[in-house]
Amino acid sequence: MSASNKAPSTTAKRVLVVDDEPDVLSYLEMLLRDSGYQTLTASDGAAALELARKEKPDLVTLDISMPKASGTRFYKEVKTDPELAGTPVVIVTAVTGYGGDPYGYEKFLNRRSLVPPPEGFFPKPIDREAFLAAVKKLLAS
Amino acid sequence: MNALGTRPGEIDSWIRSNLFDQVPVALSVISRDYRVVQANQQFEDAYGPWRDRPCYEVCKDRTEPCLRCAALETFVDGRTRSREEEGMMRNGKQIDYLVHMVPMTRPNGDIPFILEMFTDITTVKRLEREKREAERMAAVGETVAGVAHGVKNILMGLEGGMYAVNTGIQTGDDERIARGWTVLEDNVNRISAFVKEFLDFAKGRTTATAPADPNEPARQVVELFRERAAQAGIQLRSELQAGLRLASLDEDGIHTCLANLVSNAIDACTLAEERRDFVVTLSSREEDGVLIYEVADNGRGMDYDISRKVFSKFFTTKGSDRGTGLGLLTTKRIVHQHGGRISFESKEGEGSVFRIELPRSGLPSPGPSPTEGKALASADATKQTREVTHG
Repeated sequence: MSASNKAPSTTAKRVLVVDDEPDVLSYLEMLLRDSGYQTLTASDGAAALELARKEKPDLVTLDISMPKASGTRFYKEVKTDPELAGTPVVIVTAVTGYGGDPYGYEKFLNRRSLVPPPEGFFPKPIDREAFLAAVKKLLAS
Repeated sequence: MNALGTRPGEIDSWIRSNLFDQVPVALSVISRDYRVVQANQQFEDAYGPWRDRPCYEVCKDRTEPCLRCAALETFVDGRTRSREEEGMMRNGKQIDYLVHMVPMTRPNGDIPFILEMFTDITTVKRLEREKREAERMAAVGETVAGVAHGVKNILMGLEGGMYAVNTGIQTGDDERIARGWTVLEDNVNRISAFVKEFLDFAKGRTTATAPADPNEPARQVVELFRERAAQAGIQLRSELQAGLRLASLDEDGIHTCLANLVSNAIDACTLAEERRDFVVTLSSREEDGVLIYEVADNGRGMDYDISRKVFSKFFTTKGSDRGTGLGLLTTKRIVHQHGGRISFESKEGEGSVFRIELPRSGLPSPGPSPTEGKALASADATKQTREVTHG
């Protein structure tokens, strides 16, 4: 993995990182920039939605438990907005399901009929390699 | 026979001769010296021989009159009363019953006798206790889930710090190493504080209840927050009902509850999106034997998503540096220890009202009660609960 601080090229893909935890936000930002992506950040669902509509990022990493509009609301708004619905969303969350199932929230989303399942799902703390591989694959397609 | 198919006076006569023995409640008539002078079959089946014995002996297996005798109060004021009490049946089993005291008033106003009507509510009380225990277990489960959630975020912060330090070392980037190290330190501190607070929450406080002026903790909390509210440009008001009787309270516990609610209310004003004349009001009053504290604010209020989560699992909207999400959980637990309940109403953009209701009859007996379980047990043991009087 590259650890350089190389400036992302202007054609670099842009990732919107959404999380209310400043340390998580800066970690994901660092990881993605080290991999050559440009990043935008937001600390709550409402700000994230505004930024997504304005900047049309190529991918979103999304936390779920956040103040103001939650990640769930953001996800629903994005996936039902014709201009944004095609943007892949990778959920990065500490939310667990019944019995502590780390994938409980993904299963919950998969059962919703109003929204499609998310393109990626990573319980916190993330598996770094798998996360970056998923982002890379989604942005290549 | 009349149009209804009954003979004249038939119903009245049947009621007079049969109702007393056929209603599905135990009935007894007691005199001013507590003697049972008349009773129906239901009463005898439940409580055994009664003729010329005092009511406290028959119904409660006591050797002297009860401390707060509801019958005595009805003899004095002539009001019909309802009370939940615990008694002892003839077979030695404990019974929870609801008793109505109806004065048998003479035309001149004298009350020589009282009719007591007993309804067995043992099953209802058992279900109430089971429900309370189930709620407690659910709260434990939610708390554990909340801890896991908080810890995972901290873990991810630690991983971020390690990543920054490692990659900084690889590339000789001192600034990145320093940044990563700070993140590591912050998150180690965070997890230490988190664990301490969680352990405090889990082990609970040793509560000691003693007769106290219900307004005292409220006054102290208003004093405590006066400055913080003023600095934030918020008017902190108190509307305390004068002359409230002493109540068996864990004063420190009530102080914690009110402080949590007032602190939240101040935050709700500071976080409101539009500026206005913010007011936080802490009030106290008593209604029908229930002590009520209310904390009202005209701050930001809560939307549906948030209002569903306020009492659960470390939920906070204040960001990781300001809230742990333990405040309302702790408040709820203390209120339950007092046999009371907490509720709220909120409107997004307009404000919230949090209400603590403590029925006097459900308050724990004075004395130390080191664990929640014991506090609940002593609340259950309080015999006279929820009294209602009818004028």
